[in-house]
Amino acid sequence: MFEKLVEVICNYVEVEPEEVHRESRFMEDLGFTSFDFMSMLGELEDELDVEIDQQQAAGIRTVGEAVDYLEELTA
Amino acid sequence: MNKVCSSIREIVEYAQQQYGDADAIRYKVGKNETEAKSYCDLKRDSDGFGAALAALGEQGEHIAITGMTSYAWIVAYLGVVNSGSVAVPLDVALPAEEMCELIDRADATVFVADEIRADVLAIVRERCPKVKYVISMQKEEDTKEMLSFWSLVKNHPEEFICEVEPERLATIMFTSGTTGKSKGVMLTHRNLAENATCLDMKFPERSVLLSVLPIHHAYCLSMDILKGLSLGSIVCINDSLMRMAKNIRLFRPNIILMVPLMIETMAKKLEDAAGLPPEIVKREVFGEQFHTICSGGAYLPPAMLDLFGKYGIDILQGYGMTECSPVISTTVRWDIRKGSVGRLVPNCEAKVVDEEIWVRGSSVMQGYYKMPEETKETLVDGWLRTGDLGYVDEDGFVYLTGRKKNLIITKNGENVSPEELENKIGENRLVQEILVRESEGVIEAEIFPDQEYVQKAGVEDVKAALQEVIDTYNRTAPAYKRVYRLKIRETEFPKTPSKKIRRY
Repeated sequence: MFEKLVEVICNYVEVEPEEVHRESRFMEDLGFTSFDFMSMLGELEDELDVEIDQQQAAGIRTVGEAVDYLEELTA
Repeated sequence: MNKVCSSIREIVEYAQQQYGDADAIRYKVGKNETEAKSYCDLKRDSDGFGAALAALGEQGEHIAITGMTSYAWIVAYLGVVNSGSVAVPLDVALPAEEMCELIDRADATVFVADEIRADVLAIVRERCPKVKYVISMQKEEDTKEMLSFWSLVKNHPEEFICEVEPERLATIMFTSGTTGKSKGVMLTHRNLAENATCLDMKFPERSVLLSVLPIHHAYCLSMDILKGLSLGSIVCINDSLMRMAKNIRLFRPNIILMVPLMIETMAKKLEDAAGLPPEIVKREVFGEQFHTICSGGAYLPPAMLDLFGKYGIDILQGYGMTECSPVISTTVRWDIRKGSVGRLVPNCEAKVVDEEIWVRGSSVMQGYYKMPEETKETLVDGWLRTGDLGYVDEDGFVYLTGRKKNLIITKNGENVSPEELENKIGENRLVQEILVRESEGVIEAEIFPDQEYVQKAGVEDVKAALQEVIDTYNRTAPAYKRVYRLKIRETEFPKTPSKKIRRY
């Protein structure tokens, strides 16, 4: 899931895969806007065929938190 | 047909007469399934809620409403205002304590909420002693603690006759103040209805609109909902910003109101596909039926108009503020002047005083609720001081050159008071002085640490400690109010003669 997320992240913002870590914060470190972040989650919803809870999504700050949540949904 | 209305009741009644059983609101009921409610449904259901409020003895009172955009929210809002009561729309994302504070400040006696805020529903009676009734938008039946919205509506199917004068207060809308405390903007039926209907933008009747912006904001409420309904539009509800691209394909809208942040993000996607024919890109991203983006809430770089124009999409830009219900000026398809934020709307006149734009007209607010000093500073002989610098040409086109008020307006149209953040973060003992500003598109905090406290507390890594202070604040702040960059000063900030931190 981490590698999958890194691939999607690099499509949204101009970062190299090596720059993305579990601790990376989407907005402060990777340069996502709030709208980019929501759009990316929407794309992941479709690709993984899951339903992301809006409130949970609003609480996600780091790549690690996103990976953990998505793994939970797809388990 | 564009009809100028002076009350929201007039808008709903006129729309029902004209459009009857035609779809008014469309919304999702599953991943890809939608349902619709007609103009007749909307009138009947909203009147049902108005009648319910009267039966509860709360007609004419202040009714707080919070939730995601939904049919229930729209029915609740119209039911409240069209029964002569006062709606207090609240941001669904507010922390619970802040929401309770606003419910109390607005003197609300009824709280209507989406169960997404079950946390507030659970505590509101205890925190807000004036609240007599708590109503859940989702519960199917009444419980000991709260009433069921839809039971109330369905128990009052009788026709509800209610005269609503244009000068009656309809809505109190909280907006960020420059001094840190948010202000309740008081808007009458005339303020809102005339602003929504005074200008014929020549949109085709029965246009399909996708509503993506937060409904508690004046721009969405006035333009998507009130103007949309007045033109017999089909207002489609976007259930989440996560699903906007998907919902565009599902609902196939003609028009979407957006804020600059969304437009700029979409522009990046269009540029990524620059090698393909524009009509194919447009068809894949927006659909062939899509023709207009209305932009508001914040400044939009003029280059966006040319970019989207290549794809056959017009961007109409508006300028306004909640205190003006909210539109002051807007561009229209047949009359765009580069660099301008459009022509004054018909019910608005403007003048410039010391470079600041002042406006007057039937959309200007009545004042800030229970804040007479702030009202006196902002309303002068019926003129609204916008706090924006600029000028108006002889044809009524408005040009903005700067901002007088100390307010950060983010790219997604949210107003952020630097002083509010400075007050909150400044409470920490590590912070001696702090300045919050916008820098390169993000919110930045510059801090001069309290060196005495640093020594006393034995803080070894001041940078890390201050970052932790920022992170702690950010954890409870909505995304648009978070601090994204921290700068640390080695010396005190330069001061004005009255010993205030010099901001510029």
